[in-house]
Amino acid sequence: MIKQDLNELEERSIFIMREAKSKFKNVAALWSMGKDSTTMLALARKAFLGKVPFPVIHIDNSIDFPETYAFREYLTKKWNLDLIVVKSEIKPEMSGFSCCGANKTVALKKLMKERGFDALIVSIRRDEHGIRAKERYVSPRDVNFKWDYKNQRAELWDDYASKSDIKGHVRVHPLLDWNELSVWEYIKKEKIPINPLYYSRNGNRYRSLGCTHCSSPHKSNAKNINDIINELETTRSEERAGREQDKEKSYVMAKLRSLGYM
Amino acid sequence: MLINKITLLGHKDHGKSTLLGSLLMATKSVTEQRIEEAKKASKQLHRQFEPGYILDSFAEERENEMTIDTTRAQIKYKDAAFEFIDVPGHEELIKNMISGASYANFAVLLISAKSDEGIRDQTKRHLFLAKLLGIQKVIIAVNKMDTIDYDKKEFSRISKELSAFLGKIGFSESGIYFVPMSAYANENLVKKSGKMGWYKGGSLLETMYSFAKNPGLKSDNKLRVVLQGRMESESGEKIVGKVISGTLKSGIKVNVVPGAAYTVKELFVKGKKSNSARRGENIAITLNKKLSGEVRGRVLCGSGDAIKASDSLNALVFFTTKSIKRPRIRFNGLEVNADMTIENSVSVVTGEIKSERKITELGAANVRLKLGDKIPSESFDETPELGRFVLYDGNDFAGIGTVK
Repeated sequence: MIKQDLNELEERSIFIMREAKSKFKNVAALWSMGKDSTTMLALARKAFLGKVPFPVIHIDNSIDFPETYAFREYLTKKWNLDLIVVKSEIKPEMSGFSCCGANKTVALKKLMKERGFDALIVSIRRDEHGIRAKERYVSPRDVNFKWDYKNQRAELWDDYASKSDIKGHVRVHPLLDWNELSVWEYIKKEKIPINPLYYSRNGNRYRSLGCTHCSSPHKSNAKNINDIINELETTRSEERAGREQDKEKSYVMAKLRSLGYM
Repeated sequence: MLINKITLLGHKDHGKSTLLGSLLMATKSVTEQRIEEAKKASKQLHRQFEPGYILDSFAEERENEMTIDTTRAQIKYKDAAFEFIDVPGHEELIKNMISGASYANFAVLLISAKSDEGIRDQTKRHLFLAKLLGIQKVIIAVNKMDTIDYDKKEFSRISKELSAFLGKIGFSESGIYFVPMSAYANENLVKKSGKMGWYKGGSLLETMYSFAKNPGLKSDNKLRVVLQGRMESESGEKIVGKVISGTLKSGIKVNVVPGAAYTVKELFVKGKKSNSARRGENIAITLNKKLSGEVRGRVLCGSGDAIKASDSLNALVFFTTKSIKRPRIRFNGLEVNADMTIENSVSVVTGEIKSERKITELGAANVRLKLGDKIPSESFDETPELGRFVLYDGNDFAGIGTVK
């Protein structure tokens, strides 16, 4: 994996979040307690001088890992976060498309309507998946949460989507340019607290975290951040290999995203 | 590591995705899963595996064998890193091409040497747009040399024709480089080819590497900070913005345009109090006295070095539509209505000026804009970030422009 310039990435993320806050009335962020969205919160604290100035949303299907819940409580208190927990329904037979699609998206839709959020910060990265590579920094969704990926707006020269460009809300992607390695290097540099599930236990660790139904760990002895960084510098396997919704079908992710999944 | 961003330009079917896929595989810059997924998709479509499928993620892209939206891929070579921005070569998808290419440091234009392909209008249009977007260095990769027996004559003919065009639209000779190659036969892609003894330069990747080592960026000392707005923080209201040239220091006198002279009282960079901020850094400041009115779009300059705020601009514009009813420009965070008068047209395939005063879709013109508001600007050549705008027709994208 290529080492990126952390300073350049950090500055772009700060700019994008400040743009979102300056152009939209009611901003919120998704927080899964994973490494990316936690890094985004650390960046928000820099952009807004110490405080995360928007609510953070956890879409809770009640089957996240116990470590994830504990981490949520810990950081919410430490960083004084305005946490919103939305419960989403889950049935035992659900996985991948039906779970992440129907389940999480329905819960999020309901919340967005109730609270009237017009911009949602989502910590996706281009290098995670081919489809995510096509995203814009600020990406409009229609009232049904649909992503019109065939007809995306031109995005250049710091001209991001504003109120006049949208009918629904915008997804804001401050981490779009970051690769997985950069996220870990930044976590190390900034001493950002992190969910312990990323570290190896009994020879396995989670590289990408979803809920207990669709995440599986991979073989790894990386017990700390330095080990993880070393592992990533040499790996040729994909970050989301352990995630159900990506591998079921080549196009499942495209479908999920066009329907409003993150 | 700073990653050199390269936009890959060219007519569709001239082999951009294939070239990129081959480079990714040759430099081992792509995961095995990605290659497997591409192979599986080829099988599902009953097609032979093609390296370009590694990049084309949308189902529609593989089915129609063309890139619809910008794709990005990173590769490493020696001690340099490159990010390729593969943009669609299809005419209808020009707004995606513009979006992708706007982030590039330099361009690689792929052109097929095959007898029935060669230089197309689209090839030249892409070069014209690259120039308009501010790209100063371009590698012309003359592809498919294997189909013409690595013939020097055809390569020289293409080089000569394009050199003349590039000169006409304002590229300097030192910013252009021609490389003969074949992505399909893997000749002159990574290693220097043995089949073209007449060619004295390096392979495509080596040429890119030399560009990366000599970026030729102009260093600018004039202080320019584009203001973004006001921000509430735990320590009170701050003004936020981004330094686009020069260095901002705590305690110095500055001019706010439009506005008056102020002193920078406090400066914050990356969330912390700081004595100075340099180009590219986002800042939060307080001033010695209240700055009233709208902050967004105003520019902070050094003392005694104020730029002009004007409601009239002369610009070179590229249009993506046939007509424009309600011209608006989007400029450093501002959205301003404009009256547009066309002075003359500029051909994007010859570089020549024509007297006709009309909008041509995928064409260019010199225009005069009368704005609904006074906004601070400079010429694109002087300070690119303060001399460029996105053109809209009401709420629809209609083109891009640079200030003269």
